[in-house]
Amino acid sequence: MRKRIGLLLTFLAVLVISAPVLAANPPKRVLIGISKIVAHPALDAVEKGIQDELAAEKINAQYDLQNANGDISTASSIANKFQSERVNLAVGIATPTSQALANTLKGIPIVFSAVTDPVKAGLVPSLRQGGKSVTGVSDMTPVKQQIQLLLRIKKVKRLGHIYTSSEENAVVLAGIVKQACKELGIEYVETTVSKSAEVKQAVQAIIHRVDALYISTDNTVVSALSAVADVAMKNRVPIMSADPSSAETYPVLAAWGFDYYKMGRATGRLVAEILRGKKPAQIPTRFMTKTSDIDLLINLDVARKLGLTVPKDIVKSANQLVENGKLIKKK
Amino acid sequence: MIEGILVEGLIYGIMVLGVFITFRVLDFPDLTVDGSFPLGAALMVQCMLLGVNNWLALLVAFAGGVLAGMVTALIHNHLKVPNLLAGILTMTMLYSINIRILGNRANVPILNQETILTQITDRLTGIVPDDYILLVFFVVVAIVVKVLLDLFFRTDLGMTLGALGNNEQMVISQGVNPKTLKTIGVGLSNGLVALSGAFAAQYLGFADVGLGQGIIISGLASVMIGEFLVMKSNRIGVLTFCALMGSILFHGVMYVGRYYGYLIKMTPNDLNLIKGVLIILLLVISQSKKLKKFALKAMVQK
Repeated sequence: MRKRIGLLLTFLAVLVISAPVLAANPPKRVLIGISKIVAHPALDAVEKGIQDELAAEKINAQYDLQNANGDISTASSIANKFQSERVNLAVGIATPTSQALANTLKGIPIVFSAVTDPVKAGLVPSLRQGGKSVTGVSDMTPVKQQIQLLLRIKKVKRLGHIYTSSEENAVVLAGIVKQACKELGIEYVETTVSKSAEVKQAVQAIIHRVDALYISTDNTVVSALSAVADVAMKNRVPIMSADPSSAETYPVLAAWGFDYYKMGRATGRLVAEILRGKKPAQIPTRFMTKTSDIDLLINLDVARKLGLTVPKDIVKSANQLVENGKLIKKK
Repeated sequence: MIEGILVEGLIYGIMVLGVFITFRVLDFPDLTVDGSFPLGAALMVQCMLLGVNNWLALLVAFAGGVLAGMVTALIHNHLKVPNLLAGILTMTMLYSINIRILGNRANVPILNQETILTQITDRLTGIVPDDYILLVFFVVVAIVVKVLLDLFFRTDLGMTLGALGNNEQMVISQGVNPKTLKTIGVGLSNGLVALSGAFAAQYLGFADVGLGQGIIISGLASVMIGEFLVMKSNRIGVLTFCALMGSILFHGVMYVGRYYGYLIKMTPNDLNLIKGVLIILLLVISQSKKLKKFALKAMVQK
């Protein structure tokens, strides 16, 4: 027993002596913590965009890249890690991770990205101004225009929508889709999932009651897009998606959204402004509204298989086309 | 719709057979399932991406599940941990392991990959109507797994496993080590669960670390529905058949909830509630059956 106490004391003494040594390592570079909710192509593109933009701005930054793997409690432990590391600035990609950062970090500026409705998520008081130390970029999608585009390709009477009931931004978007359908006089058919394994079953359940499917920027559903596209193609139902990056690989009729990489670059610009001394509270939430920010992908192979003709002006306005199994990117 | 229910019911039916072994044959409530199901999916997908032969990948998935189950049994046997806790421990650890297997990603899609299902589809196109190809295949798979399992339970080892669940003391008095038996049984059970996960990944087109969430509850519900179908039987062939049927019925109920739930203002968010209520109802009914038997016996004795 005495030996043990001796050991313990020695151990403690070592700790006490080494503590200042460990802590006395002031970062010469800017340390930026990036926390994203889950690895998927769109969010990975945001992460890359931020880093590329800061490199272009010649900011010497060191990154702590973290991924919560879809788990909310992991998101808050990442936030705690950033707090104890004293990062100079934290970036939250997607709603839950941004909320975790905003709840945990004290006195560290936070920039959110890919958050659909930052006001509803409690990150900022209004879209016109930032929170006390929070501001960022929203990925609110032009839902109504997307559905109108779909209506020009196919006469849709009943629109189906699948979303994740536990994903805040998906729930917000579902409300907007419902509203848009009401305004356009279309019947809105919704179903929800709680995890990616349910997506296929959910699609099968509503596919016979709809003329087209709408997929929002819902992380869980997008990660199961292969199952959605599979069922939809078998039942000859077109998909309108809000996520062009995943539409490059799956048979989706049309996808209209942002280039998430460009959104990463825009987020990077915000980060640079804050690092140069601008207060987050003075920066309003930014939206991706410039035409150069928007991506429109039209899959002509899918259109042909479903016997639909895409109006010429839509084909012209698309910056990505899939034809004969090839992806053509227009500048 | 019908073939969708049947295919899903059979895919998950393999998992239900695994749950049946632990809960009913071994009397060992095992929660490893929530982790070993996505483990099978992750191993399958990762092997396919590495270019391993698909059938070999299936075997790797099965072996991974067996290992996971053995870990649970070892924790329970040697650290004197209650079986529920041992399962939860393994399940929790598997979450991290699954993400590692998937290359530090939570979700890996199978893009334009040759899967067992696409091979079978190519093989059977023209012979069987397109909608039913997968159904035919999974009927065969389920029957093969079921028959192999029945044969296993006819061997001395299988018999002893069955006896262990009934009366541990008797097995010990016969000079058999119950720890070894439990390790084999729980391992086999999770092997089947992982096999089911491997097929599910191919059917869904991706492996996801969250695939196993709540799987154990659907497995249990399926086992109970299956038992509900037949009056008492102690023939293993009948019992395994009922487990498969229970799985199909359970998926049928969930489908109906999704299909027609909106007619009674029910949303898919309520499905978890329905799962729970369903299990409780089954328990209540089976309890009242027992009570009736007691009442009858009492009447006769009077």
